[in-house]
Amino acid sequence: MVNPILLIVVPLATAFFIPIFSLIWKGGSKYLALLAALFNIAVASELLVKVKNGPIHVTIAGYKAPIGIDLLAGHLGVVFALIISVIGFLVLIYSISYIKGGWLDRYYALFLLLLAGTTGMVLTNDIFNLFVFFEIVCISSYILVAYNQDSHGLEASIKYLILGSIGSTLFLIAIALIYMKMGTLNMADISDKIGGIDSASRMLIIVLLITGLGVEGALFPLNSWLPDAHASAPSTISALLSGFVIEVALIVLVKLTYSVFHATSILVFLAVLGVTTLLIGEFAAFRQENIKRALAYSSIGQIGLILFALSLNTEAGIRAGMFQIINHAASKSILFLASGYMILKTGSYLYKDYRGIAKKMPVSAFLFAVGALSLIGVPPFLGFFSKIQIIMAAAATGSVLNLWLIAAVLLGTIIEGIYFLKIVIVMFSGTGEELSFSGGAPFGAVLPIILLGLVVIAGFVFLPYLNTVNTSVAQEIVKHLSLAQLF
Amino acid sequence: MHNILANLVSVEWIIYIASFGLILTGLFIVFTDKNLIKIIIGLDMAETGVNILIVAAGYIKGNTAPIFSKASLTPAQMTDPVPQALVLTSIVIGFGVTALALALVVRLYQKTGSLDVSKIRGLKW
Repeated sequence: MVNPILLIVVPLATAFFIPIFSLIWKGGSKYLALLAALFNIAVASELLVKVKNGPIHVTIAGYKAPIGIDLLAGHLGVVFALIISVIGFLVLIYSISYIKGGWLDRYYALFLLLLAGTTGMVLTNDIFNLFVFFEIVCISSYILVAYNQDSHGLEASIKYLILGSIGSTLFLIAIALIYMKMGTLNMADISDKIGGIDSASRMLIIVLLITGLGVEGALFPLNSWLPDAHASAPSTISALLSGFVIEVALIVLVKLTYSVFHATSILVFLAVLGVTTLLIGEFAAFRQENIKRALAYSSIGQIGLILFALSLNTEAGIRAGMFQIINHAASKSILFLASGYMILKTGSYLYKDYRGIAKKMPVSAFLFAVGALSLIGVPPFLGFFSKIQIIMAAAATGSVLNLWLIAAVLLGTIIEGIYFLKIVIVMFSGTGEELSFSGGAPFGAVLPIILLGLVVIAGFVFLPYLNTVNTSVAQEIVKHLSLAQLF
Repeated sequence: MHNILANLVSVEWIIYIASFGLILTGLFIVFTDKNLIKIIIGLDMAETGVNILIVAAGYIKGNTAPIFSKASLTPAQMTDPVPQALVLTSIVIGFGVTALALALVVRLYQKTGSLDVSKIRGLKW
């Protein structure tokens, strides 16, 4: 049987090996990175089959939980590991032709660190270990945002770093309080012992955790770093950050709330926060002229929608939220990757300069439209099914508040529809003579976008399978963790 | 005099007050100061405060380090080693973040010629 720990160890080890390897063979680092990502896809897909028989529990270095650090690869962890490795692999293919300047070996090493960190965050069963992986993710993304070393990137990176560090500080305070109150750091053990502590400290711990992880998860008052960081980073990194990094922070937050701290009473607050985030993101995206800023704000909106679905406190809600995470990972990666070469070719970030680009770069423009329509929720794309599931799940809860929130979500969708269609119409109007460049994106950059596009277009074929997997994830999140079930 | 004080305030409370004082002062600097270097110093202070808090979590008055060098030591006479291990990790992470932040500030200063947050306005803060 394959060990889930390989999902973390292999990219981590490759990341450390790359700088040494590049001394021997300059330019070989990209192939090493591709190999590591491919390996992770293989391991994750094999685990996806295995995990049907129950979550795989891995004890590290022979110290049994709750004393040692352990991994728990359930459906949640494996599905996310697969999303991370697939998106990571496709973006790596794109990077080969897109990332030309700078320290290439550092780029690929940090890229793999980001993959290892996010995978670790979803697999670990130890809360301090979660903090360490969280920091790996944070530090590698701070550096990658500033990869181009222009003043915008540096400024966005510092802003991200300052807010991120405040988040980590709060997270660490929460860990200190957990250890003081319960004397354990193992999530399953915390889940067993949380009932024994007073509700005031329980609330304090949860609020600190939500604020700490919420910075990375881009919840409403804490997300002012996101539009700058996602817009100033290279397009490949924006695709990663929007595609899965914020989602991982969010799903870990939700997992802790449900299955570790059993704090279902706070979920109403999170649902309202989600819809607020959604509305603010969509309204802000509506006003943007810079295409990457519009996409970044749209990510905030989508994160809000996902959080709303995940905090409905029903299995159907979490299933729909997972579905939307998968759709968002594919669609937003398409949008960032497709716009990457548009920006490079036209030399402009403003989408009004893209008039007629569909004539010059037909495949990219078509797939951009596909991604945009899927995010809006137009049938038959994947986004239609996820959005309808979210709305049905919210309506099924029967609470009046949720009906109001659905109305707000629909309002957000309309705004989202307007600005995305505005961009798409600009791209498809005009004759193409306005643009001076010739030749579209290279094949190596179009291929990953096409593959992601196929997921979004033909995704409905796999609808029953996606539903079963997402249902298992939802059941896992809702269930309380306990130490007894691990052994 | 010394004894009276020691009875009034236990060592734990001094440590807790010191750590929360550091955290709050640090965060106050981050939120109010305009100078990037000072903001980073503020972040570092907050981190130090959290580290002290974690060490305090494992502190037991009068107990010794958990090293099995003397056969007569029983586990009840030792402090909890886990928080100290955590703090080591946390210090290393904090060091890395601070170093990275300072490097970024140096680069930004070379590009923009300013350390003032309100003057560097390429993006909307």
